[in-house]
Amino acid sequence: MGCSSSLPDRTSGRLAGPNIENGGAPDPKNLRVKLVLLGDSGVGKSCIVLRFVRGQFDPTSKVTVGASFLSQTIALQDSTTVKFEIWDTAGQERYAALAPLYYRGAAVAVVVYDITSPDSFTKAQYWVKELQKHGSPDIVMALVGNKADLQEKREVPVQDGIDYAEKNGMFFIETSAKTADNINQLFEEIAKRLPRPPSS
Amino acid sequence: MTELSFNLLHTLEPRRDAYGFALRPQHAQRYREYANIYKEEEGERSDKWKDFLEQIAKSSQPCSSEEEYKERLHAEDTECKAETISESKEGDDSRSGKSISDGSEESDPKKEGQLSKETKTHKLQTWAQIRPSLGAIEKMMSFRVQKRKNMIDERETVNGNHLPSIEEAESLGGASDDEKDCVNETSDDNENATRTEPTPVDEVSPKHFFPWKEELESLVRGGVPKDLRGEVWQAFVGVKARRVERYYQDLVAQEANDGGSKVHDDSSGVFKKWRRQIEKDIPRTFPGHPALDADGRNSLRRVLLAYARHNPSVGYCQAMNFFAGLLLLLMPEENAFWTLVGIIDDYFDGYYTEEMIESQVDQLVFEEVMRERFPKLVNHLDYLGVQVAWISGPWFLSIFVNMLPWESVFRVWDVLLFEGTRVMLFQTALALMELYGPALVTTKDAGDAITLLQSLTGSTFDSSQLVLTACMGFLAVTEARLQELRKKHRPAVLVVVEERSKRGRAWKDSKGLASKLYSFKHDPGSLIEEKECTEGGNNPADGDKSPLESHSSNLDELLNSLNVDSEVDSLPDLQEQVVWLKVELCRLLEEKRGAILRAEELETALMEMVKQDNRRQLSARVELLEQEVTELKQVLADKREQETAMLQVLMRVEQEQRVTEDARIIAEQDAAAQRYAVHVLQEKYEKAMASLAETQKKVVIAESMLEATLQYESGQSKALSSPGYMRILSTSRNDNSTRKMGLLSFGLGWRDKNKGKTTKVEESNESKSTNEGIDPKSSGNETKNEEQET
Ligand SMILES: Nc1nc2c(ncn2[C@@H]2O[C@H](COP(=O)(O)OP(=O)(O)OP(=O)(O)O)[C@@H](O)[C@H]2O)c(=O)[nH]1
Ligand SMILES: [Mg+2]
Repeated sequence: MGCSSSLPDRTSGRLAGPNIENGGAPDPKNLRVKLVLLGDSGVGKSCIVLRFVRGQFDPTSKVTVGASFLSQTIALQDSTTVKFEIWDTAGQERYAALAPLYYRGAAVAVVVYDITSPDSFTKAQYWVKELQKHGSPDIVMALVGNKADLQEKREVPVQDGIDYAEKNGMFFIETSAKTADNINQLFEEIAKRLPRPPSS
Repeated sequence: MTELSFNLLHTLEPRRDAYGFALRPQHAQRYREYANIYKEEEGERSDKWKDFLEQIAKSSQPCSSEEEYKERLHAEDTECKAETISESKEGDDSRSGKSISDGSEESDPKKEGQLSKETKTHKLQTWAQIRPSLGAIEKMMSFRVQKRKNMIDERETVNGNHLPSIEEAESLGGASDDEKDCVNETSDDNENATRTEPTPVDEVSPKHFFPWKEELESLVRGGVPKDLRGEVWQAFVGVKARRVERYYQDLVAQEANDGGSKVHDDSSGVFKKWRRQIEKDIPRTFPGHPALDADGRNSLRRVLLAYARHNPSVGYCQAMNFFAGLLLLLMPEENAFWTLVGIIDDYFDGYYTEEMIESQVDQLVFEEVMRERFPKLVNHLDYLGVQVAWISGPWFLSIFVNMLPWESVFRVWDVLLFEGTRVMLFQTALALMELYGPALVTTKDAGDAITLLQSLTGSTFDSSQLVLTACMGFLAVTEARLQELRKKHRPAVLVVVEERSKRGRAWKDSKGLASKLYSFKHDPGSLIEEKECTEGGNNPADGDKSPLESHSSNLDELLNSLNVDSEVDSLPDLQEQVVWLKVELCRLLEEKRGAILRAEELETALMEMVKQDNRRQLSARVELLEQEVTELKQVLADKREQETAMLQVLMRVEQEQRVTEDARIIAEQDAAAQRYAVHVLQEKYEKAMASLAETQKKVVIAESMLEATLQYESGQSKALSSPGYMRILSTSRNDNSTRKMGLLSFGLGWRDKNKGKTTKVEESNESKSTNEGIDPKSSGNETKNEEQET
């Protein structure tokens, strides 16, 4: 699955019949998932979302205040579609007080760190713990090492990420919002790991 | 650097709006449509404001004149020169080269030469007085700053965190000691009057003092003219009353010293954290804005760092970068600093602190107000699983910067800064809900609802409509009401915050302890490094760091400073430095010894931690249960939703029932009418029968007569004997019987027909009454009875 082939069609990707979580059985062919991005400030959460949703990289992205929302639908090979409702949160520590508002009820949490910053890796671990305690029990978690294009500045070895993710039952991937490397793969892999409602 | 350059740039750059901000491509078209409206509005308000200012200048400031202003300006010119900042331009990391210098230092040739070695100094005006025509407004607003200062002096509790209202403040007018300002002359005679009045809120004196207050309010709602905005905002925030001479310069100098040479005190770890965050955020503040070039970014950095020093309980919080950036577009650097101080310390007290308590409280308050005002919309959002705070949270925290089009942001800020409270924040959010609620209720899922609201909000170009809806549509949302609601909701937030900080500490402690014990055993030196990399990742509560943390933080700082200091050779006095270093080294050694002792303590602490683990498990379970409760609540909400759906179905069934009932009544009426008709016919039939009987009687009579006649005739015809006569008579009798038969068959035929009809009605009754659950036989019986009657 190359990046380009998996780029969702932005117009036809919309779901024909949205399935409301609250009422009625979820449509197993058209999933809707709430996804939240967590991680230290400046690790590239907003850039990852913008790359995924708009296909752009803006080296001078805006600081996220509070949180911001974007949604994107992808089609999988088995012809199911997954509509991601993405909450991109603010990274500064004090905004962590507001994070539960956004991760509560989320089906997926993407915890991002910057491979050039050990601090951000520590912060990622904090988020994983917080989610294990307070997130939905069946939440799908992904650990993402971003800015993989900055190999020469790498300070967090790949193996550290792999190990930590494995220990915590997470999916791990290194991405670059700048080069678009692994961005679509990240979301596709998440989609594959979603618990499917029994098809009727 | 400010307004001038924008006006220039925006004419050159079509992809930016009148304020120099980038336009989103999808908004370019609508912006162009509104640009003309904005221009028109701007022209109108310029005139209105000019008239207004002239009028109040005449009435309240007879002695202040533009000449005096110019004079003063001239006098300050020298001061301004003194207050310039020599700035380094050596790329991104200019911290080391940055310093504030006053006139004397600048003339120092040694220093100068040193600086210009690698940096190009240049001067910026950093402070400017606002024009005197705004003096009266400034005066009015300054009272509220004064009042606030008094309030804080009197009681240290900051919970009643709002500026006193203008009315309140005005009545305090006499108390203001605004030196040598000519307005004092007019207010002097009021001084005694106000003093004698015990109540803080005085209905008479504000009018007396500032009879134009209401007019000003309506002008503000109409928008502040662009070229006045920066100064008017300063007047509103009361910059003049807040400003302390050289305070800002001192903060900047302090920061420059600290940032460069790392002087250590307990809080310097925190400063380092803020500094790092500010550095991350500066390039992400209005990226590409023409005013935020290297100089602009340096100003932004200084303002933010100075603020962090000024109020360490807030320090630096993301969002402030946008506020400071915005203010710097409208006013000189120091003015921007004082305006920011006013906004964050007063208007938004408790909002951007480490725990962000007030911002959380406001979200709960807003949700309650929303439920009150827009129950249907909130119901719909509940149904979709959308929480109001998801959307309103970022609105409030950013004060709509980046959320609304710029013209609207400015208009909202105009009112907000004028009022001195956060009421406008609520009113604007409510206005947006009012404007876009109808569209929102048509959405079918959470994502669509949020996307729609975001994009509608982002294209609220009709700023006048927005501001008027906000100000006029929600008059019941007052500061008093909000305070009441805040009081109600604050405890809940405090509980959660407390809970969080405990948890945070537990995590931090356990992690810190474990790794520290480990590294300490292996290599005492690594303790410091470890601290380095966990520091940024750790949780808020820096204020209440455990003694252990701050202790090792000191160590860390010391070591760091040693490293850095040994590298810096440009320090003025090396000898002094060496002495100082020696002292520090001694202290360090002492602390190291202390640390070893600590380590032992830590081991015992670790044991305790293990015990605490149990408690944590318990609290985890409690939280799990809590979660279940929320889930149950969700289910309950779903059930309720289903209930309403059922209710709707029920209502529909009922309606159908009513329709059938109606139909049945009509049918019954029909049947009655038919019964009546049958009755009439019966009567007619009986009459006919009676007349028939009579006719028959007549016939019998006639026959008997005939017979009599016949007998009579036979008596005669015995002689004649004529048979033809007989024949005629018998035919006439036959005739009679056929007539009789015809009537009968008609009557029978009608009855049959009628019977057919009633059965049809019966059938339809039957089919409907199965729906109603009414026994179909009863209505059937009725018709059968009819039949029997017939
Ligand atoms: N080289 C490189 N730089 C990146 C990458 N992703 C993001 N950046 C840079 O990192 C900066 C911060 O990225 P953001 O996406 O704004 O960070 P964030 O995590 O959203 O930060 P907050 O909003 O403060 O929480 C951006 O300005 C980019 O220049 C990447 O994949 N490679
Ligand atoms: Mg962001």
